[in-house]
Amino acid sequence: MAILNLLFATRNVPGIENIDVAEAHGIYKGVRKAVTMERQAVIDEIKASGLRGRGGAGFPTWIKWNGLPKNYTAPHYVICNADEGEPGTYKDRELMLKQAHTLVEGMIIAGYATYSKVGYIYIRGEYVEPAWQVRKAIDQAYKAGYLGKNILGVDGFDFDLHIHMGAGSYECGEESALMSSLMGERGNPRLKFPHAPLPTVEGVWKSPTLINNVETYCAAGWIIANGSENYAKLGTERSKGTKIISVSGHIRRPANYEVEMGTPLLDLITEAGGVIGGGLKAVVPGGSSVQIVPADRLGPINLDYESCGANGTLLGSGGFMVFNDRTDIVLLMKRTSEFYAHESCGKCTPCREGTRWLFKILDRITSGGGRDGDIELLLNVCSNIDGRSYCGLGDAAAWPIVGAIKAFRPEFEYWIKYKKSPVGASALPPSPEVVNPLLLQAAAAHG
Amino acid sequence: MSDNRLTQTDVSLNKPVADLVNVKINGVDVKVPKGENLIESARRIGVDVPYFCYHPRLSKGDAANCRMCLVEVAMTGPDGSVRKMPKPQAACTMPAAEGMVVETETPAIVKDRRGILEFLLINHPLDCPVCDRGGECPLQNNTLFYGPPTSRYIEEKRHLPKAYPLSDHVVFDRERCIHCARCTRFTEDISGDSQLGFLKRGADMEVGTFARTEYHSKFSGNVIELCPVGALLSRNYRFKARPWDLMTQRSICSVCSNGCNLKLDYRVEQIQRVNARLNEDVNEEWTCDRGKFGHDYVSSPDRLRTPLIKRDNSWHPISWTEAYDTLVGKLQAAGSRVAGIGGAKGSNEDAFVFQKLFREVLKSGNLDHRLGRYQGPSSAPLLDYFGHNGMGNSIAELEKMKTILVLGSDLSSEQPIIFLRARKAWRFNGANVINALDRKIEDTTNTGDFASVNLIYKPGTEIALLSGLLHILFAKKLVGSDSPANIALEKSFASWTPEKTSAETGVSAADLEKAAYLLAVSPAAVIAGSTITNHPDYVDIAAVLGGLMSVTGNESNVNVPVTECNAQGAADMGVLPDSGPGYTVPATKGLNTGEILAAAESGKIEALWIVGADLAKDYFDPEAAKRALENCPFIVINEMFLTETASMADLILPIASVAEKDGTYTSCERRIQRFYRAFELSDNIKPDWLIFSEIAEKLGADAPYFSARDIWRDIMAAAPTHSAISLKSLGEAGIRWQYPGELNAVDTADAV
Repeated sequence: MAILNLLFATRNVPGIENIDVAEAHGIYKGVRKAVTMERQAVIDEIKASGLRGRGGAGFPTWIKWNGLPKNYTAPHYVICNADEGEPGTYKDRELMLKQAHTLVEGMIIAGYATYSKVGYIYIRGEYVEPAWQVRKAIDQAYKAGYLGKNILGVDGFDFDLHIHMGAGSYECGEESALMSSLMGERGNPRLKFPHAPLPTVEGVWKSPTLINNVETYCAAGWIIANGSENYAKLGTERSKGTKIISVSGHIRRPANYEVEMGTPLLDLITEAGGVIGGGLKAVVPGGSSVQIVPADRLGPINLDYESCGANGTLLGSGGFMVFNDRTDIVLLMKRTSEFYAHESCGKCTPCREGTRWLFKILDRITSGGGRDGDIELLLNVCSNIDGRSYCGLGDAAAWPIVGAIKAFRPEFEYWIKYKKSPVGASALPPSPEVVNPLLLQAAAAHG
Repeated sequence: MSDNRLTQTDVSLNKPVADLVNVKINGVDVKVPKGENLIESARRIGVDVPYFCYHPRLSKGDAANCRMCLVEVAMTGPDGSVRKMPKPQAACTMPAAEGMVVETETPAIVKDRRGILEFLLINHPLDCPVCDRGGECPLQNNTLFYGPPTSRYIEEKRHLPKAYPLSDHVVFDRERCIHCARCTRFTEDISGDSQLGFLKRGADMEVGTFARTEYHSKFSGNVIELCPVGALLSRNYRFKARPWDLMTQRSICSVCSNGCNLKLDYRVEQIQRVNARLNEDVNEEWTCDRGKFGHDYVSSPDRLRTPLIKRDNSWHPISWTEAYDTLVGKLQAAGSRVAGIGGAKGSNEDAFVFQKLFREVLKSGNLDHRLGRYQGPSSAPLLDYFGHNGMGNSIAELEKMKTILVLGSDLSSEQPIIFLRARKAWRFNGANVINALDRKIEDTTNTGDFASVNLIYKPGTEIALLSGLLHILFAKKLVGSDSPANIALEKSFASWTPEKTSAETGVSAADLEKAAYLLAVSPAAVIAGSTITNHPDYVDIAAVLGGLMSVTGNESNVNVPVTECNAQGAADMGVLPDSGPGYTVPATKGLNTGEILAAAESGKIEALWIVGADLAKDYFDPEAAKRALENCPFIVINEMFLTETASMADLILPIASVAEKDGTYTSCERRIQRFYRAFELSDNIKPDWLIFSEIAEKLGADAPYFSARDIWRDIMAAAPTHSAISLKSLGEAGIRWQYPGELNAVDTADAV
């Protein structure tokens, strides 16, 4: 089993939130090294490491870093997406809580490499304690000369780091919506390439902007400090390094596990102590937006971008949710669709209307009002949302339902036919106790 | 107010450029401007892409939300291979690029459109039978052509308030809203009050104002027309009519001088609603609220419908015959001791026959339409300095300016449509606006909100302010001081150092300098307002302004627009004591308004004819006007309502409104535009020109005019400025008459 604590190397060191302890454990070594390098060499190092964005999409990090103008004639911005909202994911929380200096280091390096003078960490509104730790880390970094003017004596290398707290919207984790929100606008997504220039050309305040996930910046710091070759030798051919997987659900030891890319999925379940409360039924490997995988198809899946993709799901953000065989998939999907209906920003038609409709259909089915044809209706509504919405939230709302129907269609059919859970009275999450008599009547009337 | 240039609704994204690119749309090769959105590109070859949220005059940052305009897009690579984008793309924001291959009618797109319409309809109330938009509704139309035949939605629809009052004018049916963001973008992009925005999110999202305050705007009526469904409704028009039962007549707004093109929608003899009519040169497709909601007066029950005579201090209805007999008697008795005031609210034809009656039949030159303070020679002060009166630029030219100085004007109130152009120049074309005014205006939207520099000077110090700016232009070498004229100017303004100007005006030296730098560009324009024209030193201000604009080469870009609907036309037609039609020199000069009123007060005027002017209220010195009205032995007035002035008259003649007669108005930019009769309120009401014409006949003149068109022929013959402008040549957009030798400012602007 390949548990490899690169980023989490110091997470259990007492006092690691203090900069002297952090420095003693090698944090900030990366910055000291970076400022001795050419700025382009830093980017080349990231390129050589094969690091890909850890927010979910897996986009090669160096391409973004390389996309900003190679001089400073107008402001550039470095933004950290710490609006970790994907259900099942809590890796950034722990990184900020315990390894805030690692994040600060990574952002300083990014600032150096991209000729930026200002950075923003956009932290999810609920993450109050992690924000405290980041605040502390930033303050200490200023005192230690890692932030501010002429950092580490390098003439002209200025970098200021600010925290911006979100207000609790899932949508603001989408990078363009995050930028809207950061600028004080409504947290709505913005036009994307090719409809508008890339963020690296025109991001926040019409300036070149680099935006990455917390884990990506942390990994970038490690790569500079320890060398790209040491990172690139880990993982698979196209997915390099480690990935932090947030394990939750019916599992004995739910926690963040930093695993080498390409680790077999079932190994991680074993490492986390195995399934509790029953046998293994299914796993959602990458956060609630990705497709659910039933137990019998988990065998060939390895935890890397390519293997997950080839098996009809995604590694995503690493929100790894384990479900035992008492789980009612239809109720799970009802809860999932409720989340997306609640979190849709409302900007575009398919997501605004479609997510609410999906929830209403699933709510009706699980209240005993299911009708023949509902499964086809669900699939059809999903197909009208997927790929048609303004941003990825619509896709993310449609995928899990399509995946659940694909993998567990009989459970949907059971609910529609018998108006009760196929898992029985002990279903998880618990079945609603009161069945709406009006819906039952309606269902009867419509056959 | 914040700098709107830095917001999400970014107007500059992928602006089309002059380069052409080759795209293929539905198999047809077409060259289009690079960066043009695909809806417009498709339109070039007659392919309609349906949409709700897209609007060519609104910024695209918040567009692409309805997803109705999805099309399939593929890109041709350099090697000729065609790579299709995996997702359908919104045509309204997709910029055309070389080698783009677009398909708008594939089975997948047909399915997508059906899906989008189904989504829009699941929560739309489908109360079309009682909806104002029924019959002219994009949602209905697109459903007919692209929608699903049946509904699969059996869940409960969303229920929300049906008559949420956003303001006195706008009622919001929240159930019908399809969240296209046209109205919210309008308030940010066009009107600038930024009052409408979205509250809540997801399916609960709704259009609203901050903290549910009232929607205060000078341009709120436009959102009713922009709304693609019947969600934003006019309180006046709601439930009044079905669109297909309305008759429509082309008209021109009679509320201010900007000359907005309007459509009057009426039934029987009632105006039901007023909508904007497209004129790219004037109002584009906007109206202000005064224009859109201000035409209620036409069908008001208070309209005068019969001539009235005052006997024993009360009004008695009389016949036109009796009224004419009385009037002719009084006019004959008065001889040359007659005078006429007004005409700025009537048509050109009214004004022309008015002055013709006075000059040719009554043999009097005592004529004036001006109610403001400046009543001097009509060639001064502007014509002498700048070669033009009123506006040197057309309204449309203003959007090409690099700098616009708004001087002494509450622009959004005084000239709402000119304000929209100035704002467009700033927001869409990057112009700088300087707001110079003697007071700070707390308003929903005004030039001060987006001005690059605000020069708030002490009242009455305009000359000092302009002198100081001129001084800086020379002191900072922003203009050449080589020509003799400039050397003389530099000398005469040498004493106006920034320190002295600052002490005099209360404007900081830094602001003055900033403004001077902005003014030292070409093209730069100035728009002066009523604070300037009603200034006791108007003539002197104009002189300094002339210096300021001429040293920067912008003397043809001075704009002092008139304010009353047809004040420009009344002047052109010769309702002035010192000039006849087309600014010809009349045989005899007469008294101006002030002199007429003074003469009336001292009993030297026996009969005063007031034409649609409420002197007691609108004259710059109302007390002087009232004294004159009280002392004049006989006053006849042409009016629609019993105004304060009318109530002081002896005889009232009821006149037709803009909806009840044909004619032309000349707007503040000297644009002559036609309007047409929609209906007749009562056959006892006459247009002004008919009254003048019939009186002239009774006094022995030739046969009267039979129509407004007859009069226009005589106008062409009498006014050299109008000799080449036939009614037919006016076309849809109207024509600006030009001063002889006037620079064509468009060419000037383009040449720079």
